[in-house]
Amino acid sequence: MKYKVCIIGGGIIGTAIAYFLGKLGENSVAIFEKRYLSSGATGRCGGGIRQQWSTKSNVRLAMRSVEFFKKFKEEVGMDIEYRQGGYLLLSYSEEEARQFEKNVEMQREEGLDVEILSPRMVSKRYPYINTDGLILATFCPTDGHANPHKATFGYANAAKKMGIDIYTHTEVNGIEVKNGKICGIHTSKGYFECDIVVNAAGAWSKEVGMMAGVQLPTESYRHQIFVTEPLEYFFPFMAISFSGNFYMRQALHGQFIMGQGDKDEKPGINENVTFRFEKEMARKMTKIFPFLENVRILRHWSGEYNMSPDAQPILGKSDKIDNFYYAIGFSGHGFMLAPAVGEAIAELIVFGKTIHSDISYLNTERFKKGIVQEKNVV
Amino acid sequence: MVKKVQALVIGAGPAGLCGSIAIAENGVEVLVVDEGLVPGGQLPKQTHKFFGHEGFFASVRGFEIGEKLYNDAVNLGVKFLMKTTVSGIYEDVIVLYDRENERIYEINADYVLIATGASERFISFKKNYLPGVYGAGAVQTLMNQYRVLPGNDFLIVGAGNIGLIVAYQLLQAGANVKAIVEASNKVGGYLVHANKVKRMGVPILLRHTIVEAIGEERVRGAVISEVDDSFNPIKGTEKELAVDTICLAVGLQPSIELAAQAGAEIKYIPELGGYVPIRDENMKTTVDNVYIAGDLASIEEASTAMIEGYIAGYNIAQKITGLDLSENISKMKKELEEFRRGPFSGKVRKGLKKFGVEFPEGGFRTEPQKDEGPAGKLRVKIECPQNIPCNPCETSCPTGAIDVGGNINGLPYVDYDKCIGCGVCVMKCPGLAIFLVQELSDYSIVGIPYEFELPEKGEKVLLLDRNGEIVGEGEIEKIVRNSKGKTHIVYLKVPKGLEDNVRHFVRHEEKEEEIVCRCEEITRSEIEKAIEEGYTDFEELRRYLRISMGPCGGRVCRLQTLSIISLKTGIPISELESGRFRPPSIPIPFKAILKGDEKDEI
Ligand SMILES: Cc1cc2nc3c(=O)[nH]c(=O)nc-3n(C[C@H](O)[C@H](O)[C@H](O)COP(=O)(O)OP(=O)(O)OC[C@H]3O[C@@H](n4cnc5c(N)ncnc54)[C@H](O)[C@@H]3O)c2cc1C
Ligand SMILES: Cc1cc2nc3c(=O)[nH]c(=O)nc-3n(C[C@H](O)[C@H](O)[C@H](O)COP(=O)(O)OP(=O)(O)OC[C@H]3O[C@@H](n4cnc5c(N)ncnc54)[C@H](O)[C@@H]3O)c2cc1C
Ligand code: SF4
Ligand code: SF4
Repeated sequence: MKYKVCIIGGGIIGTAIAYFLGKLGENSVAIFEKRYLSSGATGRCGGGIRQQWSTKSNVRLAMRSVEFFKKFKEEVGMDIEYRQGGYLLLSYSEEEARQFEKNVEMQREEGLDVEILSPRMVSKRYPYINTDGLILATFCPTDGHANPHKATFGYANAAKKMGIDIYTHTEVNGIEVKNGKICGIHTSKGYFECDIVVNAAGAWSKEVGMMAGVQLPTESYRHQIFVTEPLEYFFPFMAISFSGNFYMRQALHGQFIMGQGDKDEKPGINENVTFRFEKEMARKMTKIFPFLENVRILRHWSGEYNMSPDAQPILGKSDKIDNFYYAIGFSGHGFMLAPAVGEAIAELIVFGKTIHSDISYLNTERFKKGIVQEKNVV
Repeated sequence: MVKKVQALVIGAGPAGLCGSIAIAENGVEVLVVDEGLVPGGQLPKQTHKFFGHEGFFASVRGFEIGEKLYNDAVNLGVKFLMKTTVSGIYEDVIVLYDRENERIYEINADYVLIATGASERFISFKKNYLPGVYGAGAVQTLMNQYRVLPGNDFLIVGAGNIGLIVAYQLLQAGANVKAIVEASNKVGGYLVHANKVKRMGVPILLRHTIVEAIGEERVRGAVISEVDDSFNPIKGTEKELAVDTICLAVGLQPSIELAAQAGAEIKYIPELGGYVPIRDENMKTTVDNVYIAGDLASIEEASTAMIEGYIAGYNIAQKITGLDLSENISKMKKELEEFRRGPFSGKVRKGLKKFGVEFPEGGFRTEPQKDEGPAGKLRVKIECPQNIPCNPCETSCPTGAIDVGGNINGLPYVDYDKCIGCGVCVMKCPGLAIFLVQELSDYSIVGIPYEFELPEKGEKVLLLDRNGEIVGEGEIEKIVRNSKGKTHIVYLKVPKGLEDNVRHFVRHEEKEEEIVCRCEEITRSEIEKAIEEGYTDFEELRRYLRISMGPCGGRVCRLQTLSIISLKTGIPISELESGRFRPPSIPIPFKAILKGDEKDEI
């Protein structure tokens, strides 16, 4: 069996790339997913879609993605519960607050509508938030959230309709390289010849790189997250704090979904959860959102952030193997970037260059020049 | 602060109590945690005398056994924490949720014995979501432990031991039992139990089932109807019963959530009650310091639960103390062996063998044919285990494949080399005891002798096992009409692995009314539609339809969903991903976690 493009990974990134390839008329494409669609980070993520970033490039990619999320239902054909309820960024440190002000200036230059809110304004607008210790907040009304499973299924179904094949429960366990070029992949369902391989393997990006003999600078870290029983829907935005280390939103069905980053995680895949996480969250979140106190936690799970050295994705072509493409290292914000990334990688494959987004600064070369950290991450 | 114990026992039913006794006998510190009001698990609900073995309290009443075991344990220094749920076994700690004080405790244990018992199964019928529909266990708990009757006029569904016992207890408590309906054609439970309720005027309606609950806000009545041999409701036989409570006693499934969270490997073994943790003959799971016992390990009885508890407990004590307890252990293993020799343990023996734990059988006179023939070939399966004077099978077979063994009373044997799967014997057998079976690559075929109004080809049906319990969903593959006789053959497409379980089916009408996931109100047709759209994994369906995302965590709907997937995709349930069992096992308020932070004595 032969395909022009083989995509490894059936998360939001792999399915988005397949969808955009199909839209550009390339349908000799197959996705290989070792479990089921959205079984990786995508199916475990918070579903937040944010444009308020500290670097211009991330702001642009996110804004481009929002354009696509807005018309997802019409263009892709699935209701992904997308809501532009905004993102409220809460800062609890002076230094970060100053940075936020700078960020907002840059974000406004990029055409993003962002407000700066004082603690008083926050409590006036959102009386159910306790603003003790808050220094400043920013709010972007066009940020939002969506259902990541449905987005993945949406892209996958649309890709299938365009003639793209999706192999689930099919693990890629080897990449055949001859004379510095990939000529095929070995999978649990046999060998497939191909002209191009895309590494969209999320937490397993490094392992997939190794299959082609390429050392990739990504590491995976567990991130935990849980969901509560439903309350009536009243909290349309995502509340997030980097200095406070949390994020929380309410799903359309009423449940609150929330998480934080854990400092001392060891790299690797770990699907277990710790009770310490629930405890730390309970302390912190009931202080800031007192209405949570009587709410019950329903289900607690975990997924992996595939981290790159500067917390920004690694996109583009390999510098070692000409027909090996990467869309990895999303560092906890791959869902929101997926449409723009899918479009860019598809353009790169079909036209040899990107048309709508510049992703050249996100290749692996950048790490040789030193690392500029994206600061707006949990 | 995290408290540390040497041995933690989860569940104070007969299994957990005996486990804690065995451990404490050897001087080890034991903490038993149970979410119930009083220790004893199922026992305090049982006001009847138990069956079994004298060494294990035969003819003592259930609640008395519980009290006796509890006192023994307390005298040995075992600590109990009641009204407390183990809400999760996390990577870092085990979390206990004290409902009364609305707070949590965190503990660590060197060894854990999980003896969480089983939960009840439910069946689908119209409006089964109405308040007033209860499981038998809930009725027993309310009645015998909380001393409240959930209603006055009851309909009981299922005439197995549990249904019969609950009926009797309800009568003792002054309630009206309008009827016990039983879809199959005989009482599943012991006749003595049946006779007790019969004596008191309760009709046991065999070949009857419930088809609908009546009422708007809560149950005001029930529609029952006769069923034919395939458990199809027979039109025109519907009767309304004025009842305010419907009590379901249609089987149990092991409560495996905590074992799964602890990392124990889980396997689907229908003979043992569904998903069960894999364990060895010492009751050790695939996790070194996690043991199990009782109904969680396999749906059985209090007596076997107790023995398994002892086996697990002695093994734990041996590991902790370094003492040689092999004599106690082998004595208990011998007891268990004796218990499981009989024909009623056949299922359990077969189930356990699937992961290499073997129990001998013997001591019953009639040996039906064991050889089930070459898998994959269309062949007969004769289920005629009693010595009855009957041989049309032998005389009708055109190839001479059946031999009843010299005398007409003998048990029939099949020569599978000769059987060509023609089905003549199936149509001839007066006992309707011959089936056709074939394992195909994507599904299996079961041919069933059928004498009533025929279903449509392609129709979806609910598959029933020999006890009339629903084991999955099937489809009518083809129908061979018998123009002379009245016995037709209906060939069912059944999920792989169920060919040995499925012996009947029920037709369902108005599918939309049947809710599979009660928390999120998801119907079977929604699930089927999603599978047709390509969502073929439990987790995909969960994410797409929100199945089992509610407070029950999938206890009710997981298995039903998996069997629907299996049938549609041809993948046996045992090979499907069962989906994760995530903590907390019951919803925990933030408040309780905060309170748990305050002080730490248990
Ligand atoms: C707790 C948590 C919260 C998050 N919150 C957000 C958020 O609010 N907003 C946001 O934008 N992002 C969020 N993220 C990040 C986001 O989930 C990821 O960046 C994004 O899902 C990455 O998508 P992906 O397709 O690259 O990876 P994945 O979804 O992990 O997909 C990779 C797939 O590759 C498959 N695979 C791997 N190796 C092989 C192989 N050898 N053969 C076949 N298949 C293979 C895997 O099974 C997997 O399904 C969060 C992540 C976590 C863990
Ligand atoms: C009506 C009826 C009649 C019966 N008659 C007989 C008979 O005559 N003879 C016979 O031998 N057997 C009989 N049985 C069967 C017998 O009662 C069971 O097989 C036996 O009780 C199983 O014991 P167990 O310890 O495994 O589970 P259980 O007795 O069910 O105990 C499990 C315990 O675990 C606790 N638990 C579960 N999850 C948690 C959690 N997360 N945290 C804390 N605690 C938890 C529960 O509260 C419960 O107390 C009968 C059963 C019923 C229902
Ligand atoms: S199916 Fe046919 S060949 Fe097989 S035993 Fe029955 S009559 Fe004989
Ligand atoms: S019931 Fe059927 S199989 Fe059994 S002896 Fe009678 S004819 Fe033969």
